Amino acid sequence: MRNRDWGDVIGGILLVIVGLYFSIQAGEYDLGTLRRMGPGFFPRTLGIFLIALGLLIATLALFRDGDLPKPRLRPFAAILGGILAFSLSVEWVGMVPATFLLVGISTFAEPAARPVPTLILAVALSVIAVVIFSHGLSIPLPAFRWPF
Amino acid sequence: MEILANLGLGFATAFSPMNLLYCFFGVFLGTLIGVLPGIGALATISLLLPVTFHLPATAALVMLAGVYYGAQYGGSTASILLNLPGTPAAAVACLDGYPMAKQGRAGVALFMTTVGSFAGASLGIVALSVFGPKIAEIGLAFGPAEYFSMMLLGLIAASTLSQQSPVKGIAMVVFGLLLGMVGTDVNSGALRFTFGLPGLIDGINLVAIAMGLFGVSEVIASITSLHAGRVAKGGISLRSMVPTRDDLSRSWLPMLRGGGVGSFFGALPGAGASIASFMSYAVEKRVARDPSRFGKGAIEGVVAPETANNASAQTAFIPTLTLGIPGDATMALMLGALMIHGIIPGPGLVSEHPDLFWGLIASFWIGNVLLVILNLPLIGIWVRILAIPYRLLYPAILLFVCLGVYSINNSVFDVGVAMVFGAVGYVMILLRFEPAPLLLGFILGPLMEEHLRRALLLSRGEVTVFFERPISAGFMIATFLLLGWAILSMIRRRRPAA
Repeated sequence: MRNRDWGDVIGGILLVIVGLYFSIQAGEYDLGTLRRMGPGFFPRTLGIFLIALGLLIATLALFRDGDLPKPRLRPFAAILGGILAFSLSVEWVGMVPATFLLVGISTFAEPAARPVPTLILAVALSVIAVVIFSHGLSIPLPAFRWPF
Repeated sequence: MEILANLGLGFATAFSPMNLLYCFFGVFLGTLIGVLPGIGALATISLLLPVTFHLPATAALVMLAGVYYGAQYGGSTASILLNLPGTPAAAVACLDGYPMAKQGRAGVALFMTTVGSFAGASLGIVALSVFGPKIAEIGLAFGPAEYFSMMLLGLIAASTLSQQSPVKGIAMVVFGLLLGMVGTDVNSGALRFTFGLPGLIDGINLVAIAMGLFGVSEVIASITSLHAGRVAKGGISLRSMVPTRDDLSRSWLPMLRGGGVGSFFGALPGAGASIASFMSYAVEKRVARDPSRFGKGAIEGVVAPETANNASAQTAFIPTLTLGIPGDATMALMLGALMIHGIIPGPGLVSEHPDLFWGLIASFWIGNVLLVILNLPLIGIWVRILAIPYRLLYPAILLFVCLGVYSINNSVFDVGVAMVFGAVGYVMILLRFEPAPLLLGFILGPLMEEHLRRALLLSRGEVTVFFERPISAGFMIATFLLLGWAILSMIRRRRPAA
């Protein structure tokens, strides 16, 4: 198989999908006329532009060498997992446990796990978070909350 | 001498203890995050946006602007010492700065970039105070057609002048414009593209999308790439920073040219610091008597781009403040900060809020003097900060992202939005799509739709209105010329440089 710029092929296809969603969904809203545009007009037009651009990017890439980018799943999963854990837990158990979850999970982004420095970091960051955000900016989040 | 009276008002505003404090805080933080690779001005400013709710408008802008131009100073430090740009605009400084460091001349390079940065910023500030009010006067005559054409020009310029392929840039702008459509339509009240989620009724939160695209995804990408961090041995002594007579005589003309190039590109809507510094490097290489010295530690190649990006950081405020058109994504966040305070940036801003406009300009002078102090004697501290391992840094960045996004609306949903756009941003980095045009489109999307609707309503649906009004026609012609140039260069290049 010939070597092609698969990164751009994938990117172009993704853009076509996004463009399709927006232009089809825009059909649900009133399109209106050029003189009196409805809420669907601008997004419908942009969606069609995006489909065209996506097709152009993907087509050009078929005639060009390139490499397939290699995603690094470990940092991707660890960082997003940490944020997800934080957002699910913070209103439920409070700021300090959520910070520990965020720091604990996101350190798995790197292969070498170091429990002690991670623990110290989590404690330090919890203190900073409580001082700056709870007290300084008066966000209505307690340091701890007992859900039971 | 109206301008002197105005500057007098400006300095009176900027020298108030509170504004001075926020100016210092801004430039200090700006230098810090500029020095550190992996977190930039954009992420920092979006982090600070929630804080600015609690500040008066002038203090908020003074602080955010300080972060922006402070980062331009700090950015070159990591470029010179580690061959790793602290900010995108400082990438050019690697080309000749790192070879200088390897020759043991890191101190000179750091000294001369600071001098150049100050010179560039000064030129930029002069341009801003002279041309800003003039452009605002012209802007008063703008109607919806002119605004639409100008935004179109800005978006096309932002996407075609960047380093990536123009088609991908334009695609990102269109994607951003579409994301800007999410939420309630102001004209009809219709809910658009909300997936039935109540959290999206007011649209996607600006801070959440910016933090996701520029904070979270940068962290994911940096973890794998930021391991080779070793600072040149011995540290930087003040004595090693003294330039030779030859260095000085080689540098002053490039500084002037860099300042000119930077001021010009900074003021163009859609261009920005990165473009200015690359252009200035290209100019120096072209006018040099011996171009082969470039890339091997030529001081001109370090000084000129650094002067240019600082000049552009100041003139970037011209279109932002006087026309309400952000030059780049960071400026778009500044616009957001102004709008939070109920100030609509545009031609009326200079006359309606003279204390804000001139106070900001005066704070730029003060901030730049502070930056010289921060960067020359204290350079050793910044060098040592580069030695902080990234594994201690990124959990802190993530925590500030989460809490910063949460604090805007006290909404966990927004934190989730930041996570989703972190994933989107990482995919974009992998596939080499730039996130900055997307954010610019996102912010301009609702404004563009509004002006398009109004222009066509006034013209009774005649699209020719954009070409009949002279100023609008000028923007349209410039847009088409840019597009034509982009297509030409694409055909000639065939293969984009990786």
